[in-house]
Amino acid sequence: MTNSVIALRGVRKCYRLGKVEVPALSGIDLEIQGGEFGALAGPSGSGKTTLLNLVGCLDKPTAGHILLDGADITETSLDRLADIRASKIGFIFQTFNLLPVLTAFENVEYPLLLSGVSRKERQERVHEWLYHVGLTGQATQRPDQLSGGQRQRVAIARAMVTRPVLVLADEPTANLDSETAAQILDLLSSINGETGVTFLFATHDPAIIARAHRRIRLRDGRIAADERNHQLIEGVLNAR
Amino acid sequence: MLAKIAFRNIFRNRRRTLITLLVLVMGAAGMILFGGYKEMNFWGLRETTIRNRLGHLQLYRKGYLSTDSQKPLEYGLDDVAQIRAAVEKDPRVAMTAAQITFMGLVSNGEKSETFLGTAVEPAKDRQMRSQRLETGRELTNGEMDTMMVGRGLARSMNVKPGDYLTLMTTTVTGSLNAMDFRVVGTFMTGVKEYDDRAIKVPLSGANYLLNTKKIEKLLVMLKQTEDTDAVMADLKVLAVSRNWPIEMRTWSDLAGFYHQVVLIFNGIFGFIGTIVFVIVVLSVANTIMMNIFERTREIGTLMAIGTKRKRIWALFLLEGAMIGLIGGVLGLLFGAVFGQIINYANIQLPPPPGYTAGYQLRILMRPSILASSFALSLVTATLSSIYPAFKASRLNIVDALGHI
Repeated sequence: MTNSVIALRGVRKCYRLGKVEVPALSGIDLEIQGGEFGALAGPSGSGKTTLLNLVGCLDKPTAGHILLDGADITETSLDRLADIRASKIGFIFQTFNLLPVLTAFENVEYPLLLSGVSRKERQERVHEWLYHVGLTGQATQRPDQLSGGQRQRVAIARAMVTRPVLVLADEPTANLDSETAAQILDLLSSINGETGVTFLFATHDPAIIARAHRRIRLRDGRIAADERNHQLIEGVLNAR
Repeated sequence: MLAKIAFRNIFRNRRRTLITLLVLVMGAAGMILFGGYKEMNFWGLRETTIRNRLGHLQLYRKGYLSTDSQKPLEYGLDDVAQIRAAVEKDPRVAMTAAQITFMGLVSNGEKSETFLGTAVEPAKDRQMRSQRLETGRELTNGEMDTMMVGRGLARSMNVKPGDYLTLMTTTVTGSLNAMDFRVVGTFMTGVKEYDDRAIKVPLSGANYLLNTKKIEKLLVMLKQTEDTDAVMADLKVLAVSRNWPIEMRTWSDLAGFYHQVVLIFNGIFGFIGTIVFVIVVLSVANTIMMNIFERTREIGTLMAIGTKRKRIWALFLLEGAMIGLIGGVLGLLFGAVFGQIINYANIQLPPPPGYTAGYQLRILMRPSILASSFALSLVTATLSSIYPAFKASRLNIVDALGHI
């Protein structure tokens, strides 16, 4: 854990509500190292999702700078940001957000098409990740034929298939029952352990917060606490 | 993959797509049927105009068109044998027919009426199928003092085949001449005003009555109407090279009524086409807008995982184009099948204003009409997707992902 995947320098984000400017994030300085399994925690409105959106290149800060993989992306064009998202960032959403008209295989394949990966390699990678998330038998099924847990597994495969440096997950277990949520969390944790990909969650889920190596607590748009679970980190490092 | 997504999205909300397709199909089929009906009318009116009265080309003596004659046939053609022989050599020419038109008084001994007379070569006139025989028979070659009478005039003069009528007119020298003609048949052309005044006599009879050997004009009938301009151009060259003192007109130069009808029908067709266009545009735009509203979060997801805005734009444009394509194909099928059913059903329409005979409703399936109807569906559906697709591509990712 020596390389910084994401670095935020004095990041502020304000939204306009009519004529009033509402601050969502105020002066965030944060660095996420490669391989971290981190959680952004905090009450609703604390700025978790806003921070995740900025880190995920989905939104631009009002002030400050964001560095992804060492490169400042603050002033990057929208098209270039799309390329960065396609190649370096994976997303896992609370509501799975799969394309309903595509099969599980096609949903996982889609980001590879955006990156211009060859057909042969696409096939290999999609099969590999469907196998990894335990959905080889469901490759030809559409999202409406899958359970919530299976849909989230497809979403995980879609996030991982591009070999990103960072996976952002916004409340990934909120729409799942506790047993399925635990399975999904195990899966994400094992992927983190095996691949070393950085995970950053925005969550209320105590189970995720408990399993996170790093807990960043937000309150009123500021970092209220930033703790590391050294015992867990040691365990992961030893396992690698 | 983009095409696959677009195609599958079309069938996501089947009821809405079905309604949109119905609008497109009805629009395209309506254009085919109305366009086919219009084309059939144009074709029918054109061919009737050519065969009934005008021929494809009319040849006159030079000065005929530009000078007001003081006496009948002052600018008539004297000897057309050489010209006819040369013209009929052209393989595109079906035949030539000499003609004189004249006016005068017709009397049955008790009553007189004005008439519009056409002197024809009987055998040639029969080939032109210029009228429908009502009673009796047609004129035949070798006769001189026989005549056919228009339906309305026959009723007015109370004559039937076998009766005699006297025709009185001005000769080429300006004196009056009269001659008895035996009615051999009555005819109708369908135009009431003409049938109320029309008579036909053999050319030899008219020559005798008018005291001349001249003819007024030489009609040239072609095998294909489409050859008219080309044949005229060649004839003009021929006339100059042989020093013939003639001038000529095409049927189109002389068919004022035909052009008026075409103008009116095209205006109506354009108006209806515009209405169909607007309906299709609004319908497809509404479908795409509804799609975008319902799929806002999906658009956000697509953009979040790296899809560029132009690809989002292309996706929705493609969906519109695909709906247009399907609607166009179905519209073609529906229009063609329904058109054939109409053609086989032998539906009779009432006589148009000024006509006495009805006619069969027929749809002419011209490739140009089929192509333009298909294009209407495809182009309007695509065009109407442009703005909604643009709106979709401009969505803010964060807002779109948070859309419920």
